[in-house]
Amino acid sequence: MAASSGSLGWNLVRVWTLLVYIFMFLPIAVVVLLSFNASQFGAFPMTGFSFRWFVELAQNEAILRAFRTSIVLGLMTALISTTLGVLASLALVRYRVPGANMISTLLIAPILVPEVVLAVALLLFLNFLQINKSFTLLLAGHVIFTLPFVILVVQARLVSIKRDVEEAAMSLGASPRQTFFQITLPLMLPAVLAGALFAFTISFDDITGTLFWKPGGVETVPTQIFAMLRNSISPEINALGTVMIVMTVGLPLLGIAIARRLSSKSGA
Amino acid sequence: MSVEAREARQPWILLSPALTAVTFLLFVPLLFIVVYSFWLRTATGADQIGFFLDNWQEALTDRFYRDILLNTLKIAAITTLVCALMGYPAAYFIARSKGNKAILLLLLMLPFWISYIIRTMSWINILGVSGALNTFLLWVGVISEPIQMLYNEQSVILGLVHFLLPFMVLNVFVSLDGIDTNLEDAANSLGATRWQAFKQVTLPLSLPGLAAGGLLCFVLGAGTYITPLVLGGATDAMFANLVFEAIITQLNWPLGSALSLMLLAVLGALVLIYNRYLGMAQLMKGLG
Amino acid sequence: MTGKMDNTTRYERLRERYMNGDLDRRSFLGLIGAAGLAYGVQTPFAKFAHAADVSQVRFDGWGGVVSEALRENAFQPFESETGVEVVDGTFGGGDEYLSRVKASQEGEYNIAHLSGVFDYARYHNLGLSTVLNEDNIPNLQYVIPKLIDVFRNVSDGKLSCVPYDYGTTGLAYNRKYISDEEMQEKGARILIDEAHKGKIGGWGDWRTRIWYGALQTDQDPNGATDMEAIWDAIRTHRDLSLKYWGSGAELMSLLAEEEIHATEGWSGRIFALQEQGHDIGYMDPPNGYGWQECMFVIKGSPMEACEELLNFMLAPETAIAVAEGQNYPPALDPNKVDLGDKIPTLPAFDPNGTLDGLTFADPAYWNGNEQEWSKKFGRIQKGY
Repeated sequence: MAASSGSLGWNLVRVWTLLVYIFMFLPIAVVVLLSFNASQFGAFPMTGFSFRWFVELAQNEAILRAFRTSIVLGLMTALISTTLGVLASLALVRYRVPGANMISTLLIAPILVPEVVLAVALLLFLNFLQINKSFTLLLAGHVIFTLPFVILVVQARLVSIKRDVEEAAMSLGASPRQTFFQITLPLMLPAVLAGALFAFTISFDDITGTLFWKPGGVETVPTQIFAMLRNSISPEINALGTVMIVMTVGLPLLGIAIARRLSSKSGA
Repeated sequence: MSVEAREARQPWILLSPALTAVTFLLFVPLLFIVVYSFWLRTATGADQIGFFLDNWQEALTDRFYRDILLNTLKIAAITTLVCALMGYPAAYFIARSKGNKAILLLLLMLPFWISYIIRTMSWINILGVSGALNTFLLWVGVISEPIQMLYNEQSVILGLVHFLLPFMVLNVFVSLDGIDTNLEDAANSLGATRWQAFKQVTLPLSLPGLAAGGLLCFVLGAGTYITPLVLGGATDAMFANLVFEAIITQLNWPLGSALSLMLLAVLGALVLIYNRYLGMAQLMKGLG
Repeated sequence: MTGKMDNTTRYERLRERYMNGDLDRRSFLGLIGAAGLAYGVQTPFAKFAHAADVSQVRFDGWGGVVSEALRENAFQPFESETGVEVVDGTFGGGDEYLSRVKASQEGEYNIAHLSGVFDYARYHNLGLSTVLNEDNIPNLQYVIPKLIDVFRNVSDGKLSCVPYDYGTTGLAYNRKYISDEEMQEKGARILIDEAHKGKIGGWGDWRTRIWYGALQTDQDPNGATDMEAIWDAIRTHRDLSLKYWGSGAELMSLLAEEEIHATEGWSGRIFALQEQGHDIGYMDPPNGYGWQECMFVIKGSPMEACEELLNFMLAPETAIAVAEGQNYPPALDPNKVDLGDKIPTLPAFDPNGTLDGLTFADPAYWNGNEQEWSKKFGRIQKGY
């Protein structure tokens, strides 16, 4: 790539990407900025600098509880739907399955159904079976609408992994299991991680289905925010956004630092 | 057991957990909705069980539903196009950059961590009469009166693009990242310019990712209702708003069921087209 | 009245009396034994829903400060006194909540903060109502009688709810752009005034829109005769307005940030804006939209626990604290209870306790036309 670094086309792509990132971060910047605004209504120019919304947030136990619920729900959703998704993608890409197109369409179907409909349909069905709302139902709902994302991402990646490499490994005497864990899995790891991240993020951000499926007393971060918003547009919510950003910038940095340290150890 | 029989059985074992989940958590409940769409809502608000075609007749013949469906598809298509134009170069940059790709991707996912509702509403603070942009333009002196930028179709599309762009970038990235860069270098060494190499090698190979991202953007865009509610004006409703209104506001679940099945059918047709298209892309790849 | 919870409460009460010395040890144990026997006999026949929900009561309301005030003043003392947990949830609007209740199982939802008699009638007509034992709610005596009667009329003299608060949907306007004189002159027609094009707002709720359509065309909001004129007024309003708002929060920010200069608005929210120092005027036009909210007990709920909770919530000190938090006057009769300093300053407050100045939605008229009008408005709203 060294040759391309200085080329005009590459520079255009770079500037374009920068603009895309600015676009993505503009609302975040506004949220962070306004979380320090002294007055309640988030209008510019700002009226003063204040930490009062953070203080109010810190005293809001409901949000902290919701945060824990969302994390647990998101992690479990990511784990289950990534497992289901990877298995299904392997079957679809690596084997000749009759009706593969049909099957992958079926598996992607949950995102084709508007979420309101999915929510009501699932709820009515479980109602019919006399099953009460529970955390498990909420989890099942989240798995079902994150599954397609995992399958789409993992399949796209698997298609581009050359079968030759696997066949080479096998012809050199590796068992199918060894081939999978030593060749296929590492090759598709980025896609698996992307899928898991997708699943977690979408679960963490979901509101429509969650509103229908959650049992009484259980709140996730979005439903809690929704409840808070109904009453007043409070910069407390901006403060919450700011805290989340600080956490999510901090956590990956920490993860990368740990990964670096680990790899430098194993390298030595 | 013969090797062939095992070979034939294996994919089904791998598929069964996902298929079971989708069957019992989606298709059986959807069948419920199909049955529901033939019921009738009575004046008292209770649902009358039976076989009535009223809901379907209304959903299929009324111009109102058709117009809004078409408008929804138009908005979704523009959103998808904008996402592709904005997202592809960004995904290309990430895939080919020497920096840390994971960090660049995580940064892109970062806005998801501020709830969708907060993100959508923050555009009001940017584009509103007393928002950041108007305040800035007034301060610079470009304008003397705040411009009304909110509550129209453009602001709905803007909100949707912001919501869906990461889906596009991630999908394109995944397929670009799987392409061996040696292929492009090989094309270069055979005398192709970088642009030719990109156009003839990389772009076709990344089409499945672009198609997947496009499908996602389109479908999620067409199914949205919160964005038009928050950023749209009085007349900027989308089809999911009609479904939501029928089910939630008018408590007319039978009609809501029929309307959602209608939306489902249109988007389902799109997936079939996508599948055929993806098949072609794979074919091209096989030839390459 | 079966189920473990009632027995638990009974036990708690017995224990309390025993501790206070009202009961000797032998009768205490004897009563415990009887309660245990009753529990053992009843439980196998108790319904599943009861067995699952016996230790808690589910309450759903509008969230925010209302919930906080209730939690602090009613739910927490109730929990520590009875051992029954109050699980509180929130909803965005009455219609959304009703569809959730419709899709739920009996006993899942217990008490709801409903808006208006028409809402009460909807639940009653769908068979979701209960019959309260009013002897268990002595604090009902402090409530304005007229507020109770309207509910009784719907459900054959029985009650499935207790009235809790009331307010109005009047006209809110920014004084910087619209003078009080202009408001007096134009009234509800300010919302269809060409002069304010693009700076008008309104709630995207079909009842409110039709109500104001009737006022703008000089008709009786509870008995319009010329619907076409009303639809035209709604269309005019649509074309002149910036957008329909969907929540109290949105109403407040549109006004505070001066995106709109005039809209109809909920009295409590506008009062909150005024409290924050925004120069927003509020006016109830003649025949303005009044509403009364109630705490409704949904079919399948543990009745005794719900009644006890309602009684807690109606206790004057609780009801007043909640009212001061949410800026809507309580349903308590000012002739019987001293409501303090703040409540008399709230908009819509009636010092006589007769509420004669307010016009409420007639449930038969509105519910009878709900299906047709909500749909028709849905179309007009989208430009048809």
